[in-house]
Amino acid sequence: MSFTPGVIPGEPSSVTDRPGRSGHGGAFPNARSMFVTLGLAIVRERPWFLFVSLLILIFVLAISVNGFFTIYNMLNMSKYSVEIGLLALAETLVITSGGGGIDLSVGSMLSLVCVIIGHLAIKLGINIWAAAFAGIIAGFLLGCINGILISTVRIPPFIVTLGTMYAYRSLALVITGGIPISGFPPSYYALGQGSIMGIPFQVLIIFIPVIIILNYTLTRTLFGRYLYGVGSNELAAKFAAINIKKVRVWVYILSGLLAGIAAVVMTSRVATAKPDAGFGYELQAITIAVLGGTSVAGGRGTIAGTVLAALTLTVLYNGLDLAGIHPIWQVGTLGLVLIISVLLNNWLLRSKE
Amino acid sequence: MNTKAFYRVAYSREFIVFISLIILGAVLTSFSPQFLSLENISNLLLQISGITIVAVGMTMVIITGGFDVSVGSTLGLVAVIIGKAALAGVHPGFIPVIALASGSCLGAINGNLIAFGRIPPIIATLGTMNILRASIFQMLGGRWISKVPAGIRWFGISRFLGIPVPMWFAIIIALIFAYFLSRRPSGRYVYALGGNPEAANLAGINLRRVQITVYSITGALAGLAALIYVGRTGIVQTNTGVGFELDVIAAVVLGGTSTLGGKGSIVGSVAGALLVGVIKNGLILLNVPALWEGMIIGGLILMAVTVDTVRQRGIAA
Repeated sequence: MSFTPGVIPGEPSSVTDRPGRSGHGGAFPNARSMFVTLGLAIVRERPWFLFVSLLILIFVLAISVNGFFTIYNMLNMSKYSVEIGLLALAETLVITSGGGGIDLSVGSMLSLVCVIIGHLAIKLGINIWAAAFAGIIAGFLLGCINGILISTVRIPPFIVTLGTMYAYRSLALVITGGIPISGFPPSYYALGQGSIMGIPFQVLIIFIPVIIILNYTLTRTLFGRYLYGVGSNELAAKFAAINIKKVRVWVYILSGLLAGIAAVVMTSRVATAKPDAGFGYELQAITIAVLGGTSVAGGRGTIAGTVLAALTLTVLYNGLDLAGIHPIWQVGTLGLVLIISVLLNNWLLRSKE
Repeated sequence: MNTKAFYRVAYSREFIVFISLIILGAVLTSFSPQFLSLENISNLLLQISGITIVAVGMTMVIITGGFDVSVGSTLGLVAVIIGKAALAGVHPGFIPVIALASGSCLGAINGNLIAFGRIPPIIATLGTMNILRASIFQMLGGRWISKVPAGIRWFGISRFLGIPVPMWFAIIIALIFAYFLSRRPSGRYVYALGGNPEAANLAGINLRRVQITVYSITGALAGLAALIYVGRTGIVQTNTGVGFELDVIAAVVLGGTSTLGGKGSIVGSVAGALLVGVIKNGLILLNVPALWEGMIIGGLILMAVTVDTVRQRGIAA
């Protein structure tokens, strides 16, 4: 690298990297290199990078798009980040588990669980909360199918979840005959449409607790350590007597579970169970996870990064919507963001080594 | 010795697929006599010629250990490009050149992202798939192209020696690549890359070149399929080629190409394409709602891969 000698770029502030070598050189030799180090830290520490770009994005949209920077819009926007945020967290776990881990079926699981909840509650007349609970269990089981095929039968994740993506999506269409189910009882709306002091319910009682639990699981529990271990070096994990299969099965089950929870939030918010509710969500979820710093090679990924990336994309979408840009461009932008962020991740990882 | 050879044939994937084709055909005929009518069969073969052509490329991609979900979008974008070019008055003789060139350029983008960007194939092609979809929408602006000149329709609807032109394309492409993959050194590189990349690298094979080549070929073949599609239907819509990748992947996987890489054959994929065609045709003849299609094809993919993986592990153990 062509930067000032004496300072190893990105090294001092790094939390995840080789603790023995941090604090290299101690003080900054001069102002310029301090600037460079700060800049690189922002680029390399993904949560900070995302936080800064989120602020810049909000600033740009606030001065260029009418009606964006209002309290109502900002709080309302956080609603939309919940469902996609939950799916992105699922994708973070799956991709971090390594071995080519990817879950293309999250969107289809979301649709299928939405439809199952609708069918149970409205067509069969079961209590709505019991139906919601059954939906979450269904998500668990759908994830289980993925997990067993991937981990026990040992089929590459992309082909399993591609197959189940089409199968679950088609099953959702078959159950409903392609027609959305509506007519949920009003008491159910509270979850997806209510708010306390302007903060949407689902953010307060679902999204934030899930974030806290997952963050705790990943950083403080054995499962979390196993997950990073399996993801970063499968062989070493095996020699450390970690049950790799078990970890990977659980990751896909959690993915199904989170998709189930997202489906409950979504049916409550839009008050209908649409068979195509999760169409295209897999791309969004994967993009958010990767943008949030999750390495597609596995072993690297943080909850904070993913949450910030989810907020960034929600803000971007909202801005594009308010600016009247056609939704197809959101999909195109997403593809571009996905490729660029993987390239960026790869480049940063390589330059670190 | 002879019994050994017999077992090898009987257990080979191509044989199993052909047997299930015959059984499926017999079942379908008993339910709906129309199945064996000349019109239905020729229609079926015409429909699967596009799938077969792209499946040939996809087979090579999957043999190298890669994957390509962007073929449907590539087909769509090339269809838009040649539709626009034809309406702008480009001579029909140049249209195939444009189709192949634009298709292989799009494929080369995938190949470069994967080979030089080191992006996992599923993620790279998922990204390009969506970028291409957005480009299709942008180029068409929500309308569709109709009134495609007769010169292009030739590629889709006319016959040569009594056989439809698309089928000629499919047969020739399958033969060329079947020869190339099994007999030419560069064809063997494809297997080497998928079977053991490190060994292939040590053997002096330029892995990146092989990778970029197979994705470019797949793109070019998707371009050819687009030409046939435009010729056959005469219109280009925004959703042209949506879901096409599923049929192609199903054909390749049912044909016995291993998703772990290193194993597979063109003959198998052609048989797989036939099977996919017969299943889709059967669903229509039996009046099964189209909503079931994803369920059935997706389920078949999972079944085929599960059986393959279990068998492969059985042999290894």
